[in-house]
Amino acid sequence: MDRFRPFKLWFAGILCFGLIFTGSMTSAQEEVASAIRRYKAYEASTGYYEEYEVRPRHQRPLIGVPNIREGIFPYSPTIAKVRSRTHLADSHQGIRFYTGRQCADCHPAAALDIHTTRANLTCRQCHGDEPIASINFYWSPLNPIRRHAYVCAKCHEGASASYAAYVVHAPNPALAKTFDEFPILAWAFWIMVVIAVGTFVLFLPHTILWGIRELFVKKKTKEKKTIEPDNENAD
Amino acid sequence: MNPTMKTRIKRFTPLQRIFHLFLMLTFLIQGATGLARMFVETSWGKNLGYVFGGYEAARTVHIYVGIIMLCGLALHIIYLMVKVNWRKFPSSLHGPDSLLFSLKDVKDFFQHIAWFFGAKKAPHFDRWGYWEKFDYWAVFWGMIILGATGLLLAYQMAASRIMPGWGLNVALWVHRIEAILAMAHVFLIHFFVGHLRRHNFPMDRAMFEGSVKLEDARHERPAWIARLEQGGELDGVLVPEAMTPQRVIYYIFGFAAVAAGLYLLIGALINVRYISW
Repeated sequence: MDRFRPFKLWFAGILCFGLIFTGSMTSAQEEVASAIRRYKAYEASTGYYEEYEVRPRHQRPLIGVPNIREGIFPYSPTIAKVRSRTHLADSHQGIRFYTGRQCADCHPAAALDIHTTRANLTCRQCHGDEPIASINFYWSPLNPIRRHAYVCAKCHEGASASYAAYVVHAPNPALAKTFDEFPILAWAFWIMVVIAVGTFVLFLPHTILWGIRELFVKKKTKEKKTIEPDNENAD
Repeated sequence: MNPTMKTRIKRFTPLQRIFHLFLMLTFLIQGATGLARMFVETSWGKNLGYVFGGYEAARTVHIYVGIIMLCGLALHIIYLMVKVNWRKFPSSLHGPDSLLFSLKDVKDFFQHIAWFFGAKKAPHFDRWGYWEKFDYWAVFWGMIILGATGLLLAYQMAASRIMPGWGLNVALWVHRIEAILAMAHVFLIHFFVGHLRRHNFPMDRAMFEGSVKLEDARHERPAWIARLEQGGELDGVLVPEAMTPQRVIYYIFGFAAVAAGLYLLIGALINVRYISW
């Protein structure tokens, strides 16, 4: 009846085979750990980020909303994985009126970094669309194992893991809590402030007093020591 | 007055004046481009940035002028190496014509303070006062700190190969505070000492003309003049005053630099509360 049917089936089979194996090969492109030589060459990091290079083992990353049942039965991890748009956990789960809020409503300090104020970046350009996972969540694009490649490199071409250790939302260095959160920044800041303030504490009053004192000085009118060029030659 | 009459005493060589001129121009450009970026959230900062072609272009100018400054510093160090009398090293580094600090500077400083309050006579300064030595070495200190942190920030990718990225957070704050210190010191203290105090008002032309009035030097730096007279060297360092057109140029140039510095200082002070750090 349909003399082309064997060919169609054969073609469909090849197509399925190709899709399955091509997909497998693509998914085989895993995150490259810093232990691999080609990344190591570009990193000066102590490797502290490597602590995140471990998949969550017995934890289930795709947990449904606690106490919320979809339909008759709650989602199993498997079905959740199918239904979930991404693998990300939602850090903002359970927050009331979440959809009507701005990021800066709850994270005001985070909206004052240089990326936001000067480069006009929005939060979602780095943190991604909903659901927004914690940056240390294993599959987060901002997880330190892939942040440099997935996020930083979008603007900073060639960003390495070491480069991505830049603290975008750095704490205010003047605050006392920064000594705990980012001690080197706090120490550097206060040492520089002490040098700057010390310089002005010394030289500003010095300059003002000098200026005032000179108003009361009478210049001595001594005989001018001058040489006429002609006389100089004559001598 | 006879224009060829030697009423002034030579204080700076032409090369030293060129170094100062170079530093003056590059410093003002760095101050303007740096503030244009720091104050980009304000209209004042944006307008300042437009002078250099906008926010991004201001960064490019800042980086290249910074590199030129560092080259200038390297040239100055080479100049110093050439000038040092290596046969009498290290004793040649000390002496009244040296810019290295000595015990006399400490004594002069405290005596000067006492003189401000009328408690003592004014110190007999030699060729370089302690405040001038401080200004000179502050440039070294500032350029090394600003240059090092500036290079790290300018070439972030390369910098992150030799240090972790959070070092850039530290470098940014060190660069900022040192730059603020340098600008505030130059625009407030250096300009006041060079222009506004009665001894120099309206402007100390020494760095442009290379010489100061002998009469003034005798008043402010009696130890220097006495030393030269005693050694019979005074006559050899006396020079005539510059021609009137030259002096006009010096004044225009000097006042333009002061105006630019004050514009940056006042603009920054007015707008400082509108920026996020």
